[in-house]
Amino acid sequence: MEVAELKVKLKTQIIEYLNLLDFTPEDIDDEDQLFGPKFDLDSIDALELSVLLEREYGIKMTDPAEGRKVLVTVNTMVDYILANKAEA
Amino acid sequence: MFIKDLSCISPQKTFEDDFFGTEPIIYTGSQLKAVEPSYADIPRSQLRRMGKSNRMATGAGMPLLQKHKTDGIIIGTTDGGMEDCHRFLNQIIQYEEGTLTPTNFVQGSPSSPAGGLALMSANSGYNNTHSNKGLSFENCLMDADLLFIEGRAKSLLVGCVEEISQAQYRIETLAGFIKKDEITSDKLIGCGTPGAINGEGATMFVLESENDNALAELVDADMISYPTADDLVAKAKLLLERNGLAVSDIDALMLGYSGDSNSDHWYDVFAEQLFPETGILSFKNLFGETPSASAFATWFAANLVNGKSVPSQAVHKPISGELKTILIYNHYQGNQHGFVVVRAV
Repeated sequence: MEVAELKVKLKTQIIEYLNLLDFTPEDIDDEDQLFGPKFDLDSIDALELSVLLEREYGIKMTDPAEGRKVLVTVNTMVDYILANKAEA
Repeated sequence: MFIKDLSCISPQKTFEDDFFGTEPIIYTGSQLKAVEPSYADIPRSQLRRMGKSNRMATGAGMPLLQKHKTDGIIIGTTDGGMEDCHRFLNQIIQYEEGTLTPTNFVQGSPSSPAGGLALMSANSGYNNTHSNKGLSFENCLMDADLLFIEGRAKSLLVGCVEEISQAQYRIETLAGFIKKDEITSDKLIGCGTPGAINGEGATMFVLESENDNALAELVDADMISYPTADDLVAKAKLLLERNGLAVSDIDALMLGYSGDSNSDHWYDVFAEQLFPETGILSFKNLFGETPSASAFATWFAANLVNGKSVPSQAVHKPISGELKTILIYNHYQGNQHGFVVVRAV
């Protein structure tokens, strides 16, 4: 899968998992801070995002510190998915 | 007890629009979905995580909690957020008891609406949820009454919420409790086929122990399970007697006719044996059947004794004279039977 295609897929999944009522994939920029003021996410959303990675991409995050580096932007999440899928 | 204020989200336009000034919505089929408001007062970050029952309970309850200081919150719900509950249970199977998220679990808990309302309004008082199937609302009223009698509260938010969940709907349809035939809601009563039509919504009341410019009085409530017809009539007589009411004091019966040929005979027997001359109103042809449907009936009756005009679709047997006292009698699936007396103040 192309990186651009993966980004659109991930944005769609983020909207679905977090039920972001007012957003479409086009509204989410690759460098938007997921836990910034634009989306108003909280710790339960962080858990939802880590579950998304596990269910959709088979990647289990076991280190909470890792989550703080990965669940930052769409780009950081995509990089993490690509790196871990490649390892697998 | 006195109704100080009230609010209702239902399959009719009861929340933002003037239900009593417009023609009721007529539905086809056996699911009457709630007409939900925009929920502009609920922060979007909270709204997006709410299941339907929580959304409706918050939407109906929060405006009342913002307007009135209350000593506690009592909510009745039979199934709570059943849609979320089923989603959570399915995830347990689908993901082999692996990582699960808390959202569906929290939203699926019956106590979530009462807890959510308390958190949002910073109400740290009494908080209770009654899940007593067809008598959830009557149990809420009994709970509130006991708190008032014991002097532990002067004002309470009391209400009920139910949502249509598709899994529950399928189960109840298979069990014969929901109609399989397509019928319009205006032709529901007396249609002669088994099953009711499913409704949903949230009804909230601010109840107070004293009459301080109240909208209506909740004179009394009572309940009985698995009665015979004689038990039922005896129970109703007892209810009237202990409140100093004669049969002639009841200006109208509000009966829970659901169009179910298996269980509507209870209403016929009740009216014929105890109230042969009294006018009869219906409400499930407007709001549908829910386990706590008597909450809708109480909202309806409180508005009627407060001077609102009776929609023609609700008249089952014509009423003569003013509507000052209404006796609500409702049962759920023929097993649990509840009474509520509503009177003008």
